[in-house]
Amino acid sequence: MAFDTFVFILVSGIVLGGLYALMAVGLAVVWTTLDVFNFAHGAFVALGAYVAWQVTQFAPGPQGFVFATLAATIFMFVVGFLLHFCLIKPFERSPNIVLLAVITTLAASSIMESSIQLIWGPREKQIEAAVSGRFEFFGAGIGANDLLALVVALAALAGLALFLRRTSTGRAMRAAAQNREAAELMGFNVAILFAVALGIAAATAALAGAFIGSLRFINPTFGADPLMKALVVVIFGGVANFTSPIYAAFILGIIESFSIYYLGLYWAPAVLFALMIAVLIVKPEGLFGNRQKTL
Amino acid sequence: MKYAPPFHHSNGLFPVLVALAVLLVLPLVFTDTYVRHILILVFVYAILASSWDLSLGYGGVFNFAHIAFFAIGLYAYGIGAKIVGIDPWIMILLAPAVAVAFAALLAMPILRLEGIYVILVTIAAAQLVLKIVVSQSDFTGGTSGMVMLPRLTMGDYRLTSDGRIGYYYVALALLGLSTIFLYKLERSALGRAIKALRDNKYYAISRGVSESRIRLFTLCASAVLPGMAGAFYGSYVRVASPDVFGLTFLTLILSVLLVGGVSTIWGPIIAAFVVTIFAEVLAEYGAWRDIIIALVIIGVVLVYPGGLFAGLQELWDFADSRKTALIAAWRRRFRSASRAALMGSGDRMISTSHGDISVFDTGPGPGKPALLFIHGNSSCKEAFHNQVKAFSEKYRIVAFDLPGHGVSRNCDPRADYGYEAYAKIAAEIVEKLELGKPAVFGWSLGGYVALEYAVSGYPISALAICGTSPLGTYPDDMPAAYIASPHMELAGKRFHSWKEKRTYAAKTVPSGAPNAELVRQSVWRTDGRAREQTVAKMKTVDWPRQIRLLREGAVPFAMINGTEDPFINHDYCAAFGYANIWRGSPQNVDGGGHAPFLANPDEFNRVLGAFLEEGGSASEQ
Repeated sequence: MAFDTFVFILVSGIVLGGLYALMAVGLAVVWTTLDVFNFAHGAFVALGAYVAWQVTQFAPGPQGFVFATLAATIFMFVVGFLLHFCLIKPFERSPNIVLLAVITTLAASSIMESSIQLIWGPREKQIEAAVSGRFEFFGAGIGANDLLALVVALAALAGLALFLRRTSTGRAMRAAAQNREAAELMGFNVAILFAVALGIAAATAALAGAFIGSLRFINPTFGADPLMKALVVVIFGGVANFTSPIYAAFILGIIESFSIYYLGLYWAPAVLFALMIAVLIVKPEGLFGNRQKTL
Repeated sequence: MKYAPPFHHSNGLFPVLVALAVLLVLPLVFTDTYVRHILILVFVYAILASSWDLSLGYGGVFNFAHIAFFAIGLYAYGIGAKIVGIDPWIMILLAPAVAVAFAALLAMPILRLEGIYVILVTIAAAQLVLKIVVSQSDFTGGTSGMVMLPRLTMGDYRLTSDGRIGYYYVALALLGLSTIFLYKLERSALGRAIKALRDNKYYAISRGVSESRIRLFTLCASAVLPGMAGAFYGSYVRVASPDVFGLTFLTLILSVLLVGGVSTIWGPIIAAFVVTIFAEVLAEYGAWRDIIIALVIIGVVLVYPGGLFAGLQELWDFADSRKTALIAAWRRRFRSASRAALMGSGDRMISTSHGDISVFDTGPGPGKPALLFIHGNSSCKEAFHNQVKAFSEKYRIVAFDLPGHGVSRNCDPRADYGYEAYAKIAAEIVEKLELGKPAVFGWSLGGYVALEYAVSGYPISALAICGTSPLGTYPDDMPAAYIASPHMELAGKRFHSWKEKRTYAAKTVPSGAPNAELVRQSVWRTDGRAREQTVAKMKTVDWPRQIRLLREGAVPFAMINGTEDPFINHDYCAAFGYANIWRGSPQNVDGGGHAPFLANPDEFNRVLGAFLEEGGSASEQ
């Protein structure tokens, strides 16, 4: 294999990893704080992408894309924040919370996808990218938009890390995730903190959705694929730490790039799922995980 | 000992027979192909959802690859029948084996996992299978799927002919087989092991249930039916498409299961009808339909987590308590003469803090001490008619129907059905009728009520119990105090089937004996919730307090049992160590079963009379 091909595969793997990280981190935040798996995450991605598309219809051009991404992120934060009180809060004391949350989030996902179809129709759409053109990078051509997606994803993750570690709200969220009862006794409003966690998850999903929408076509049900990818990433990396799904996302992105090159488009996802099951058999808490969960 | 009557003796028999008859006749009424098509889909969904319940509900294994079992059955049928060319009927039998093989593979990674991880791994495994199916487009047709799968034929007859009537009956037969399989499995030793692992894993393991084997079995057993349903579905729609792996289909079946009620076999079957027909009615609304269905699902789990089956049970419960209340009202109104004939005089209603109670009273007389009778579970005050005749010369006799029994009214189950409430009712009657310090006789459940009455500090001069084993601790003493029998389960069972009512009554007084009809009729009338509550509330009674009373001997006390009482353990009763028991030990009346005062009244009355004479005077010394 030529060196430029190798660099190309590696860089597209890293770009893929950046998007996966953005999708998986929201899933991991919800899982570690609320202790449920959010099956509506794919629909969050899709809804965020459609909101961003709608905004670019009013405001075209690079500024429009920036504006659309911000609008979609904020809108989805509010949606996620409110959904906590409809989908998860009513069941938090139920012994069946895991199963009930699965069905309510699946139902919410169905509602969001159907709403998208009602509002925007089933036809495929694409968001106008903020930047175009290609960079030469060690002989391999890399799309500028791909690079922008990677940079923004990394910046968003860094921002989220700062929020969780440096701000009082972020620390309160981590406290609630580690020990809910203790956090309540310290006077934190855990319901609000949990709602913020779901809001953050939805906001990161929207950001990912906006970039996916600018890289390929979107339709009302396109969220299912990102959801599955995020699921693999989260299990592969484990949720012991805020950073572990991020490492896992980049590893999986690179693995996927290379297996697409060597095994073809159809076998690559099978490799990922098989890898994930293998990790779970050997190390159920994930590659970077330990038994204790912290945010 | 677990009480598990065969299905044809349970309450479910009649509704199931009716439903089966309706389903058998339905295609003859609706000759429309579309209606039959919907019903065939309903049967397939019902099989899928109810068999999913085996792992998800009964096993507590959150297996989200269940739909993949169906998909594997479907593709196995497609490949086997179309590409390999095996006979479709044989493929319907072979496809489940492929699904079971996959289930056995799947069991390996999830053995070490719990809860949400099981969900994720099973979803991932289903996706893995999907990706493999899609990648093998030479065999599976890739993303576009397989078409023109062979259809089922019987000789030269196509099952699609005559408006798909053949497929309809094959699907119905599959649903019937699946239901029988699940019903039998759930009640077998294996089924109990599956439920034990779910309810208390470590206790089950410590009692010798192998977690890995049972989980493997649970998954494999739950894969048989979806595998078969998948193959049947393939032969019916004649298309195998990768859509069946998707979240949409999974959500549909999961909603059938949850709307029906988890850990019930019948719930998902009923819900399959409701959800599928509901979805078909809304079909023309497109995306709105999915929104409405999703909202209904959220609404059901939010407002009614038990699902439709719990709703049906509540409906049944309501109907049952209305029925018993109606019987009581009718007897109160129209049968007072026959009661009066039996007891010598009529009864009247007295309102207490725990509802309106029917009380029989021979009335005050000079120098007549009061004697209060408390009857047992699912009985009535007329059970003491022999004693009324024998003792009314010397004593003022008072007997009352407990709430929910006899001609008393049905009451609030939580507040009014219980030992404390019953004792308080007795005390209020004693106060209202100005009985002073009565001697109290309690039979069976009434014996516990009498004990509770005595320890609560209500006025009492002597205490006699019959057919009641005093308990030190509950439930530890139950195995020693009582002879285990299915009857013990019936005593706390809310709904008795007709057969169970008869069995229960016959254990008290053998059928054909003089008072059998009286006992049977009172079982028929009793509010099932009273039975359920009083047995459930045995957990909350302060048993040591009752034992202290008997061991300290503050109240003259007698125990009079039937020698052939089928329930109580005579040795346990004799060895209890009472301080002040009349004649030094429990007295046994020959020839009496659980109700010696009904079966052998002369002998019983002699013993009770002697106690009232001697015991009463002993207390005055």
